[in-house]
Amino acid sequence: MHLDPVANMQLLVSGLAIGSIYALVALGFVLIYNAVGVVNFAQGEFVMFPSYIAVTFLLPATAVFGTLVHWQLPVLVVYALVLVLMVGFGLLFNRIAYHPLRDRGWLPVVISTIGVSIFLRNAAQLTWGSQPIVMPSLFTVDTIAVGPLHIRPQDLLIIGVTAVLIAFQYFLFERTTLGKQMRATAQDRTTARLIGIRVGRIVAITFVYSALLGTISGLLVAPLFTVTKEMGGLIALKAFAASIVGGFGSIPGAIAGGLAIGVIETFGGFYISSSYVDAIAFIILIGVLLFKPSGLFGERVAEKA
Amino acid sequence: MKLDRKNFLATTGAAAAGAAIGFPAIVGAAPEPIRLGLIPCLTGSNALLGQQEHEGATLAVEEINARPDKVYGGRPFEIVEEDATNDNQSAVAALNKLLGENIVAVVCPVLSTQVQAMAPVMKTHEIPWMTGGTAVKNTQLGVPGMFRLRASDGITAAGMTNFAVKDKKGKKVAIMHASDAFGTGGADQIVQNLEKLGMKPVANEQYPKDAKDFTAEILKVKQSGADVLLMYIQNPSDTAIILKQIKSLGLTIPVIGSPSLANQTAMEVAGKDAYGTFAAVDFIVGFNSNVATHFLTSFFRKYHHLPDVGTGSGWVYDSMYMLADVYKKQKGTDPKATIASLKGVKNWNGVLGTFSADAEGNMVHSVSIGQNQDGKLRLVKKVSG
Repeated sequence: MHLDPVANMQLLVSGLAIGSIYALVALGFVLIYNAVGVVNFAQGEFVMFPSYIAVTFLLPATAVFGTLVHWQLPVLVVYALVLVLMVGFGLLFNRIAYHPLRDRGWLPVVISTIGVSIFLRNAAQLTWGSQPIVMPSLFTVDTIAVGPLHIRPQDLLIIGVTAVLIAFQYFLFERTTLGKQMRATAQDRTTARLIGIRVGRIVAITFVYSALLGTISGLLVAPLFTVTKEMGGLIALKAFAASIVGGFGSIPGAIAGGLAIGVIETFGGFYISSSYVDAIAFIILIGVLLFKPSGLFGERVAEKA
Repeated sequence: MKLDRKNFLATTGAAAAGAAIGFPAIVGAAPEPIRLGLIPCLTGSNALLGQQEHEGATLAVEEINARPDKVYGGRPFEIVEEDATNDNQSAVAALNKLLGENIVAVVCPVLSTQVQAMAPVMKTHEIPWMTGGTAVKNTQLGVPGMFRLRASDGITAAGMTNFAVKDKKGKKVAIMHASDAFGTGGADQIVQNLEKLGMKPVANEQYPKDAKDFTAEILKVKQSGADVLLMYIQNPSDTAIILKQIKSLGLTIPVIGSPSLANQTAMEVAGKDAYGTFAAVDFIVGFNSNVATHFLTSFFRKYHHLPDVGTGSGWVYDSMYMLADVYKKQKGTDPKATIASLKGVKNWNGVLGTFSADAEGNMVHSVSIGQNQDGKLRLVKKVSG
């Protein structure tokens, strides 16, 4: 297949857009892992559940428990409402799925997150049914023609919002007391507690922040992918791979890993075979685990010990 | 009477004892129901198909049980349902559980991959297996009593290919399909039909399960110079997302799809992005019999939404009515006798058209090519296999 610069640009934009979503969800994984030392397997449902809530309030009619509801609130009101609800969701998740099990080791917590994931998927099916739901886009046009390129405004929005969130995260962790407390808690919870940081509160904030990252990811991809109860599953799987490729626990690693997997699988699908898109992501993962087990940005195990 | 704890226990105890003595006599008088197995994908990523299967079966059984002319020996139909979920192992487990439930026939999941996974178990039980799975192989698995109540992929793919080449004058045909048994089987059939016409596809793109971004596949089709695209996909959500991305990436060639491209859900979800597309379908609203009109009306009245007739509810509804007619005609529910009767079905009228069994157990032998015109599917032509 010949190298086509227009196709390459098109692939790059799509790859960066999907990679940005992987990066945002991977950040959620990493933040929770750093704060409490477990992988949250309900991270994909942090993407799916708020998307369903958003379409319920956005659309002229949505079937909830088989009954049509007619909210149709303005977009910005809905986005604000969903973010507020997901703050509560993050706190509840922390209180129910993590807090009661926090002193029993990592395995019960991981199983608890898997349980929440299954519960949320089935709750979504019971509440909204199996029908895929279309979330309206913020844009009136599907594509913008830039020369021979067809660019989706939604892709540009995804890339832009991700860039802003990364900048915000840098500011939060480097320049604010809260961010420093979160970093201190991530590095050593006992010492953090000894110097007066309210670790329980910081952990709760971390769950909330992680839920909000998932919410933003969901609101960004829903207009492209439709809202289904499965929408978060594959994204979370790739994001998990991305966080390992980047170095589990590393924030820059999660971002770089997400973007790299998005771009490489899109180009791989075009230049190698679309049949192997998923395989490509996981071949990268295996390669990194074999040759650089700590990931691209991860600390060496000896240093961490 | 004062209702204290002692009196309450005495009263309820007496009632329970009375029921225990009297109830078997009542049960003994009631005719034994005819138990039919149903294995839809009620959970997982194909739950939409399973929900439609469940709805079609429930509606048919309610109607049949209310009609003395359809109920054999006063014995009502009873559905025994197990969830096939989204994977083959669960489907096999569900089947094994059903087989211990004293059932006389089974309506299988619509997913061919699950039907094929269940085949080794099905071979050991001589009961009627009603399927809507369209992979050609389903009726060639050596399962006695397998009957397909929809057109096979062989007929659908031949119809799509001939329409693309002969009617749309396609010289460079591209294929896009899912990686499951349905998608790969259908794509193989298209390739075979193209070979019969002395052609090869200029692109044959398979996407992995649960994929959400199809930029690479669509760009490859675009770069191949294809002048017509054939899509073989089961999942209506995938179909809708692909149509959206085809439009956004500026691919403007005619698109001809398998039945799910024109099912109710895909058309609703894809909206304007599906306008102008063609599909080979089992069923087009407005071009069918009184049976179909009755089905559509009753379905909408009961569920407040339209059915996905071909892929979802119609074939299940037909399965139930066909079994009811056979039981009534043969005056019994013996599974072996039912298989023999089903093999003799000829010109039986159902929602999806006229059914006649061939030697393999295929009951439907034609499809229609329809075009989505402003959200409504319009008949273009009928194609026989």
